[in-house]
Amino acid sequence: MDEVQYIGEHLLPGRIGQFLIIFGFVTALLSAVSYFYATQHRDTPEQRSWKTLGRWSFILHGLSFLTVIGLIFYMMMNYMYEYKYVLEHVSDDLDFKYILSAFWEGQEGSFLLWMFWHIILGFIFLKNKSRWESPVMSILALIQLVIATMLLGVHIEIGEFVYRIGSSPMVLLRDTMNIPLFQNAEYVSLLKGNGLNPLLQNYWMTIHPPTLFLGFASVAMPFCFTIAGLWTGDHKGAMKSVLSWSLFSSGILGSGILMGGAWAYVALTFGGYWAWDPVENASLVPWLMLIGGLHTNYIAVNTDRSIKATYLFYILSFVLILYSTFLTRSGILGETSAHAFTEMGLEWQLVALVLIFLFLGIGVFIAKAKTIVEKEREESIYSREFWLFIGSLVLFFSSAIITASTSLPVFNTIASYFSPGYIGKVINDPIPHYNKYQLWIAVFISVISAVTLFMRYNAKDKKQLSGKFLKHIAIAAVGGILLTVLYKYFLNLGNWQHHLLMFACGFSIIASLDYLFGILKGNLRLGASALSHFGFSVMIVGSLAAGLNERHVSNNTFIFGDLFTGEDANKYVKLLKNKPLFMNDQWVTYEGDTLVGHTRSYDISIASDKNGTDKYYVRPNVVYTNDFSKIAATNPATKMFLEKDLFTNIAALHPSLQDAQFAKEMQDTIEFNDYVLRKGTPLYLDSLKNYEVNLIGYSHFPTHPEYRISESELGIEAQIQVKDHMLDTVYKINPALGLKGNLIYTFPVKSNEMETVFKLDEKLFDQFYTPEQSLDYKDFIIQDRGIIQFNDVSIRLVGFSENIEHKQYIKEEKDIAVAALLEISAPGLNKSLAPVYIIRGNRPLSIKEYIPELGLHIRFSQIDPENGNFYFKVAQDKRDDLSLPLAIANNVDRTDYVIFEARIFPGINFFWLGSIVMLFGLFLALYQRNKSR
Amino acid sequence: MKKIHIIAIVMIAIAAFILLTASKDVSTYATFEQAETSQARVKIAGQLVKNKEIIYNPSKDPNYFSFYISDDDGVEKQVILNQAKPQDFEMSESIVITGEMNDDIFYADSILLKCPSKYKTEEISIREVNG
Repeated sequence: MDEVQYIGEHLLPGRIGQFLIIFGFVTALLSAVSYFYATQHRDTPEQRSWKTLGRWSFILHGLSFLTVIGLIFYMMMNYMYEYKYVLEHVSDDLDFKYILSAFWEGQEGSFLLWMFWHIILGFIFLKNKSRWESPVMSILALIQLVIATMLLGVHIEIGEFVYRIGSSPMVLLRDTMNIPLFQNAEYVSLLKGNGLNPLLQNYWMTIHPPTLFLGFASVAMPFCFTIAGLWTGDHKGAMKSVLSWSLFSSGILGSGILMGGAWAYVALTFGGYWAWDPVENASLVPWLMLIGGLHTNYIAVNTDRSIKATYLFYILSFVLILYSTFLTRSGILGETSAHAFTEMGLEWQLVALVLIFLFLGIGVFIAKAKTIVEKEREESIYSREFWLFIGSLVLFFSSAIITASTSLPVFNTIASYFSPGYIGKVINDPIPHYNKYQLWIAVFISVISAVTLFMRYNAKDKKQLSGKFLKHIAIAAVGGILLTVLYKYFLNLGNWQHHLLMFACGFSIIASLDYLFGILKGNLRLGASALSHFGFSVMIVGSLAAGLNERHVSNNTFIFGDLFTGEDANKYVKLLKNKPLFMNDQWVTYEGDTLVGHTRSYDISIASDKNGTDKYYVRPNVVYTNDFSKIAATNPATKMFLEKDLFTNIAALHPSLQDAQFAKEMQDTIEFNDYVLRKGTPLYLDSLKNYEVNLIGYSHFPTHPEYRISESELGIEAQIQVKDHMLDTVYKINPALGLKGNLIYTFPVKSNEMETVFKLDEKLFDQFYTPEQSLDYKDFIIQDRGIIQFNDVSIRLVGFSENIEHKQYIKEEKDIAVAALLEISAPGLNKSLAPVYIIRGNRPLSIKEYIPELGLHIRFSQIDPENGNFYFKVAQDKRDDLSLPLAIANNVDRTDYVIFEARIFPGINFFWLGSIVMLFGLFLALYQRNKSR
Repeated sequence: MKKIHIIAIVMIAIAAFILLTASKDVSTYATFEQAETSQARVKIAGQLVKNKEIIYNPSKDPNYFSFYISDDDGVEKQVILNQAKPQDFEMSESIVITGEMNDDIFYADSILLKCPSKYKTEEISIREVNG
């Protein structure tokens, strides 16, 4: 078979890239092994050379993958569609600012992003010259090695089976499929990129994935330290060294998760910041584990207890990160998640990824746990460490319960593996299911976190409690009750469980404030934990307020009244353009819309009365597909107030505005009736008796929005007024016709208010602009400076020019051409014209001038040089008794409306404020920790 | 036995209890027949019946959306949803609806679409060749 010689392919970057992936894989292996030996021989002179080898291998590994990432960007920016990854994520019209988003939209890119952060963290760690370098880097290199297998893209044949290992971003499209297109040597020039999903074309897609993946990557560090600590036996040292990394990781991963919530809330139409979706849970659970570990880590640092627990927490949090990778990328979640992820066909490799590190972590733990010496004597229930440990246990169970529910699709898959007839189970209503258990977790966490603030590490009995312990608890309890009462004054709190939760949060808020200002006197140096716990409780109050009080306000109580039962009957309301609608005590008006690029924004005004008092705008938008044939996405707009948010969205438009195909079909089904309209004779339509249609006049310059002056040679517009006797309003309707070449284009006008379309009949054109052959020219002979009087028009000959500027004159050689310079004056019009007289090869020709306003045709027809006579022909269109042929269709659907959705989220700012304070507390603790070391 | 062990055991017991009680939160996807007999709130997974009428006329009622789906047994029923028609509805591969059966019509209050094409197009677009 002949090999096709392809034209236009760029094979070099792909080959370099594929080489570097393999090279990066090998250097990761080399680094892991070298560091392994450096650790094993840590007390021998060999150690140094192993370590140097490990270090340089890791640096080479890092540089290889950084180059791979750079190459993919290079390929994307140059639209090398011969590469599958480029074709799938870039298109010619992709805005450059979304190139990052396009890079990590796909599985391969997001694996690379993950590896990128491991490399950066590894480099930073190396720069710090830690004594933990060998064991930690050995594990980090191993992690990189395993993830790199996801990108190898090699096929291994064993017998008749072909196993695929990884999916390379460097693969050529023509190597992935066999289609006739590749018979064409120039196929590359025919390819068109798929581009970035319009839903993902926003700045959230630029900032959320890198933050979340930095969070994912940073969880590897506590895991590496855990293995390192168990491996070397320096448990106390490991506990001290890992703490900064855990704080960093908790802060970043928390920020990443929160950003995801903010994205869902602000930019997507999920209608909330958290929906207990499996994909969301998958990233929350490792964070909860990590926070559990962080607390036991503090116990370990302060009391030499809970070292084992800390190790287990860190192992589990990293394994859960891998598990979340498996859940979200294997396609196992099926229809239980609203987030769609494409399958890569690497399910077993993902399972292996999880199991390798689960067995490694647990195996090393079991083998080495006996080397951990913890205090024999039991901690007292009056000590801080006791309750911190309980708090961590609560977090552990929180993650365990969430993981169990989230893993239902995994159980289903396993069960159906063993008994093929098994029918998978699903959670009926996920949000209440998760909330009812996590509510108790939040209650425990709030109360425990508040009480421990007033306790001491290593306290042995009751006497060692802070002297004023009970006083502080009493203050917090009273404060909690007061806050609950205050909350209830403004908002709804639902059942007793929610009351209890609100009290627990209030208790914690007051206790934290009491601790921060009463005991620490506002000195934040020691207050990071109190600040974080304060933030946590405020966050929960926010989610209570928003969750329990969130409601749709887009319903019109005037119209619907009691027609519908069921609280959710009306989520959406139809807003007619410029017709204010009363909802939720406010007047809402759809005022207009503007199209910029592919995005159409709607200006919706909201005011407290019809006069526009306290008016503000919300501007939700819709995004069209690249060819404008359909709406690809709707983007909500959220107006933020101090006490609540107003979330608005365009849920639908008239079908003809959503789909170009439908619009065309609808256009074709409109039935017109023909009418004839005369000036001074009003027309009453049969079907619309209250409408009086009058012809006001004509214009030569159509104002129709779709009419382009530059494209049309002649245009005509009929000025029609329709008087609605019922509403006592007058509508001005200006349908138009345009001539281009030999074609007449109609520009109908639709009045949404009257649900009527007006269209001019093409016959009007011939009536209005009399065709040349039907013109009745009159001859005039004048001398230079003479005047022609034609009806009420006077035409004065003011001179001649051999410099012809007439648009229709195309100069030929040997032409003798002269233009007569005429000045026209008619009532309300003065104009200069220059009709042309030509002698072309003994034949006289003339090119006429035309004044559309007057319908006046003037030809310069002959020159008599002997007598100084000039001959002109003049004719005028007959317009006096013009009847307007008009087609009218009524009962046409109104299209000038939006289907509007509005919800309020009261107290949502507590959620954001609280979560930001909580994360700030983590970063503050990190700052203090690094400063003090 | 340490106090912490006791607390841990109590917590494990609570967690086990929770997971047991949670079993009533889960169920298999129902069929229309089961929905009819149970008269309970159920989840049904099925495919859109493309040759039957899909009604969403926002001009008339933006909160009324009606279509037909066929469940796993191949039974086709009308579904009415008090919502706007979701984007790309016709392109969905499978649909999961939650709600109740009443008089041979399934009244749904939530819908989940699975549209693989939404995030990835398997087909390759070819440039239009001009001239």
